Amino acid sequence: MADESRDRPGISRRDLLKSAGAAGAAALIPARAAADPPMAPPAASAPPAAAPAGPLMNLTANETEVLSAMVDRLIPSDDMGPGALEAGALRYIDRALSEAESDSVEAYRIGLAALDRYSRYSRGAPFLELSDRDKDSVLLDVQLGGATGAGVGFAGSSGAFFNMVKSHTWQGTFGDPMYGGNVNFIGWDILGYPGVRMRVSEDDQREMEAGQLPPARRSAYDFGQFQVGGGED
Amino acid sequence: MAAAALTASTATAQTPTTFIVESRTMTTGEMMPRDYSPDGRNVSPPLSWRGLPAGTRQLAVICQDHGAGNPPPWVHWILYNIPASASGLPEGIPFDPADPMPAGLEGATQGANGWGLPMYRGPAPPGTSLHHYHFAVFALDAALDLPPGLTRAELLDAIDGHVIGQGAMTPHYSRHPAPEDPTP
Repeated sequence: MADESRDRPGISRRDLLKSAGAAGAAALIPARAAADPPMAPPAASAPPAAAPAGPLMNLTANETEVLSAMVDRLIPSDDMGPGALEAGALRYIDRALSEAESDSVEAYRIGLAALDRYSRYSRGAPFLELSDRDKDSVLLDVQLGGATGAGVGFAGSSGAFFNMVKSHTWQGTFGDPMYGGNVNFIGWDILGYPGVRMRVSEDDQREMEAGQLPPARRSAYDFGQFQVGGGED
Repeated sequence: MAAAALTASTATAQTPTTFIVESRTMTTGEMMPRDYSPDGRNVSPPLSWRGLPAGTRQLAVICQDHGAGNPPPWVHWILYNIPASASGLPEGIPFDPADPMPAGLEGATQGANGWGLPMYRGPAPPGTSLHHYHFAVFALDAALDLPPGLTRAELLDAIDGHVIGQGAMTPHYSRHPAPEDPTP
């Protein structure tokens, strides 16, 4: 029987997640990117509710569908749990496009249209109609800059568009819930992050190191010390 | 010259014999089908080989562009731990490591290409320039059981002294211009 390690990638799922932000490559990861989190999941937590559905404020219905499909492949849900869509990353992006990222609305529109054109050009079908494997292959080409070409219509390198969406998807999945994503702390559960707490006792530390510390499930802004727009990063 | 560069990097105690590397869809000196590039499905091409030297225990494949990379070559694909019983590779070796290798290639694993990814990613030469893609196949005298994710340099170092045969083919590619608006 073959050694299982030879049938697996040279990079573990956890490594992919850790390296994705820095390396930019291999950002298509399973939702269980941290499949072996150091922290135990909450013993009696309710099943996470899905993020709210409905049209987005800043994108058309078709743009929303394409973006949703892309976000879904960046951190997909799987048999081990929810992914970026369930964590509300799409809502987070829409909210960001109304506020801090309003300058990026046009980049989204151009990029999503180009993604769909590239899919039709290279794979012969709209992005939404591709299998998950083909979606991943298309997104790899977009990520690596290979989707750049006359007529496809990315503004500059396709990789810039990919990195923008990836970055916002990460923020919407793993950021503080106050910003509109990470619904029901889904993202923090994926990472095994025990949550914000003002005090960590010796017992907490021991439980954390043993992977038994229950998640705090609190936003940083639930604490009086933190204020939105407080001017401190 | 691509072959010379490879040979210099894989100096062995004995001179490797040469064997034939072919493809049912590609020919040395001719254009690769677009399906092996981002202009198409971007799947790995089929390869076959014959005339392996006696004593071949394992094979390794590198696809590289000696006209790109800093320093060259730019690596598009690395596959190794290929059993000697395999007479070639089918089209579309899985890019997702969760997918199993095709029958007859059990144990084969992919190394890190120029993007650091353990998969095939095809040619996308800039503009309309024409680049040559060197598919080099190495016959090895040992089953090396190499770990996944090796870079080209790591693989060449690992197989140094075990190369008893080499074969290659070198098709080329130039990007097809995309239509002005591929939307139907």
